[in-house]
Amino acid sequence: MSENYEPNIVAFLCNWCSYAGADLAGTSRVHYPANIQVIRVMCSGRVNPLYVMNALQQGADGVLISGCHPGDCHYMEGNFYARRRMGMLKDLMEFVGVDPKRFHMSWVSASEGHKWKEVVEKTVEEAREAGPFEGFRRRQIDW
Amino acid sequence: MDLEQLRKTAAEVVVREDVKYLIGWKQGSYGYRVAPVFVEDASGAAELLFSPLCTANLATYLTLVEKTPLPRGQEADKRKVALLVKGCDSRAVTQLIVEHGINRDQVIVVGCPCPGVVDTEKLAEKYPEQGKPAEVEWNGENFVLLCDDKETELPRDQFLAEKCRLCRHPNPVISDITVGEPVEPWTLADDNGVEEIEGKNLEERQAYWEEQFSKCIRCYSCRNVCPLCYCQDCILDRLNPTWVNRAVNFSENTAFNIARAFHLAGRCIECGECERVCPANIPLGKLNRKMAREVRDKYGFEPGVDPEAEPFQASFKPDDPEDFIL
Repeated sequence: MSENYEPNIVAFLCNWCSYAGADLAGTSRVHYPANIQVIRVMCSGRVNPLYVMNALQQGADGVLISGCHPGDCHYMEGNFYARRRMGMLKDLMEFVGVDPKRFHMSWVSASEGHKWKEVVEKTVEEAREAGPFEGFRRRQIDW
Repeated sequence: MDLEQLRKTAAEVVVREDVKYLIGWKQGSYGYRVAPVFVEDASGAAELLFSPLCTANLATYLTLVEKTPLPRGQEADKRKVALLVKGCDSRAVTQLIVEHGINRDQVIVVGCPCPGVVDTEKLAEKYPEQGKPAEVEWNGENFVLLCDDKETELPRDQFLAEKCRLCRHPNPVISDITVGEPVEPWTLADDNGVEEIEGKNLEERQAYWEEQFSKCIRCYSCRNVCPLCYCQDCILDRLNPTWVNRAVNFSENTAFNIARAFHLAGRCIECGECERVCPANIPLGKLNRKMAREVRDKYGFEPGVDPEAEPFQASFKPDDPEDFIL
């Protein structure tokens, strides 16, 4: 691992809570690591497990999924489905040898700008520990 | 298993007016092969077979039927399909009912309690296949191979298929007609292959699966044979968006295998068909069993047991485990 390695994190944020929470962190001038690439989705339940796979294949070193707190989902129950799905995906990925430090899920509400900062810091720190993801990343082919 | 009774029952079912055909097994053309057969009249029932060689899960054929658009003025054939099932196959039927893949009133389940089937690969290794069909029968605890007018005793612990060593439901979970006596469930083997991998650290696991997944030739046999992989528009075939590239390399193979295992999480009924048909001998059963175990231990759900259940991935409990959430 090189000295100045910076992990690449792809974050899927739900439109109603976590995205607004991250926005609040921005407007309240909270500083957090800049390793996060945010993708806004309408609900954490909309995140297909294949998004996670694709992110890792295409060069992400870690993935973060964030949604509303259980019971606060804009669509009533989307985050419950996401929780069940992602819990299993995490087990499966760990089983095939992907470091569980690369995959995180969190509940961040629209008023939790500071929690968002903590979540990002934790995610980046753990991804940094895990190092660059070489597992099943798509290799560039030299033709 | 009384074959006469099976054939008689099948003939009675097939002649019913509301039955389209019965799907069963028949003797294959050579060696230890057993072929599926679609019986449409009473005379066809005479070639039906139920023996330790009947490994195939016939529930696959329920959803394989092509649904072509009907010409104007024609009525769809609404007759029922009858199906011979072992314990594991009946779980596939149950799971299909749970998912509304088939309607309960569209299928007649003819249950055959199953004392376990043989692993034909192991059998062919010890006793090579010949040009003519051979028979295997149950004989108390063990199997017996009938070939060239000779009877060879096959010890159960040596030839029993992997899926049967771990089988918890040898008797059909649902059946309209049961042929034969229920069998006593046996004690399970304790080595399901999952703990072995969980004992490794991450690098070793990665190395193990890299070796396995690199063998994959992406023939999609595992998907095609699976009774629960029946999406008309499979994400693996879709080009826009391309979820999994078609290139055969470790990266795409892993994505494919994880996607396949994930799509079967909470649905796989462990009939072992994917592993049996895999030309590269990838231990797909370990992935499936791992997911089945997580689903059972963490969420208290077992697929294909209760036809009234909610589909696992399309339901939730407010108190699902969330220890992994930051």
